[in-house]
Amino acid sequence: MREHLKACMQAVLEGDGERAEELAKLTLERKLPLLEVIDGGFVAGIREVGRLWEEGALFLPELVMGAEAMKMAMGVLQPALEASGGKQEKAGHVVIGTIEGDIHDIGKTLVATMLSANGFGITDLGADVPAAKFVDEAEKRGAGCIAVSALLTTTMPGQKKVIEELRKRSLRGKVRVMVGGAPCSEKWAEDIGADGYAGDAVSAVALAKKFMA
Amino acid sequence: MEYIRRGPVLFDGGMGSMLIAAGLGEKEIPEQWNFLHPEIMIEIHTAYLEAGAEVIQTNTFGATAIKLAASEGGRGLDPSAVNEKAAELALEALRLFSGGRGAGENAMPRFVAGDIGPVGEFFPPMGKLTAERARAAFREQAVALNRGGVDLFLIETMYDLREAVEALRAVREVSNKPVIVELTMDLKPRGYFTLVGDAVSKAVEVLIPEGADVIGANCTIASEAMVGLVPEFRRLTRAPLLFQPNAGRPEISGGAAVYRQTPGEFAADLAKILDAGADCVGGCCGTTPDFIRAARAMIDAKGRASR
Repeated sequence: MREHLKACMQAVLEGDGERAEELAKLTLERKLPLLEVIDGGFVAGIREVGRLWEEGALFLPELVMGAEAMKMAMGVLQPALEASGGKQEKAGHVVIGTIEGDIHDIGKTLVATMLSANGFGITDLGADVPAAKFVDEAEKRGAGCIAVSALLTTTMPGQKKVIEELRKRSLRGKVRVMVGGAPCSEKWAEDIGADGYAGDAVSAVALAKKFMA
Repeated sequence: MEYIRRGPVLFDGGMGSMLIAAGLGEKEIPEQWNFLHPEIMIEIHTAYLEAGAEVIQTNTFGATAIKLAASEGGRGLDPSAVNEKAAELALEALRLFSGGRGAGENAMPRFVAGDIGPVGEFFPPMGKLTAERARAAFREQAVALNRGGVDLFLIETMYDLREAVEALRAVREVSNKPVIVELTMDLKPRGYFTLVGDAVSKAVEVLIPEGADVIGANCTIASEAMVGLVPEFRRLTRAPLLFQPNAGRPEISGGAAVYRQTPGEFAADLAKILDAGADCVGGCCGTTPDFIRAARAMIDAKGRASR
């Protein structure tokens, strides 16, 4: 079992999706405890990827491949997990998108992938999303967090609109808001009354965990 | 190239912030203004020439077919036509300037650089961009800029060395004019790297043999952080180097982006960049003709010993 966990972690760390998928199948064949394998193997791998990214030892391609490997493993394990009734305890639900007028969605997609790899339920609205749409979806899904990306100084005021929309519907107390994107900063998040700023996908995961704790 | 080898050459500054100040709409892209407001484009180029820039850059940062197709404003534009038109506008500004205020016996030589930016898509594993598609888009842009009459090419803000190489090869296929390649690098805990993890050493190893005449970096980091990047390049190559930092980090004030750094602070950092071994300097996001004017004064004060 320890060897197996180590192999799972290694597959994610190396961004080897095929290997991760194989190991996930092996987990089912051998009837190993699912949650233990997910947490002690694959999630441990993605955590290590996150740590190395923060250290500056890994870069975007490795981060993306690690998250992809994680996704491939979960694609195999998720149905079995649900069938067994032992539903994986979701970390919470996040509605994510790039704000209206802005079509940059690479960073946003990366954050969504990493959140999903870390056990969050995700509704990804894509790019060019009106403020009201974020709130509509958060209401519908009972999401605890909205993540709004803006890559342009001209579109970042739209992030504030999302917060105003939440206030208007008296949902501000229920839904936390994180902002991200190249021109954003801690100060900007503070200025517009957001709950936090995430400079990259790894810190977005940490922030979401803090929100949902 | 001879001119660059002889001493500090000053490039121009930001285009985007100038266009926003002139009223660029939220849904508009800068490249549209080559057709919508050619007179404003000439004004901006002229302002940089008057400020003392020796090289001005065409308004074609996002004018590849791939990038144009990705935005509402760009979809209606023909990539070849935009690039050719933008080159003509920059040359027209230069012609008017040289015949007027910039005339005279001691006039500095001035040049127009055809500006080439990333296509906006990623290579695997982040995206699905292929070398062939990128090369074809860059080739179309380079052909049109060349037809428009640019004096040199400036490939800039490249966050993936693979894309920079495709742009460089595309230019080399269509022209023997000088080519500059600037990557955009960030200061990470372990040094300076592009977004996808290209180190300075790899950039030098790849770009020089591929035919880049000048290499360097622009955008992402402010002038202060750029100072530390210069020696990283200089200790690995004797090739001429160009650096174009941002004017500090943007802050939002009253819904608009504000760059707090002053032209004086910026010019002082450019002086350090030159001292660290750079041959050419200029500005990127947030810089205006005022920044370039301050840089001109700094360079003139340093004296051009060999000229």
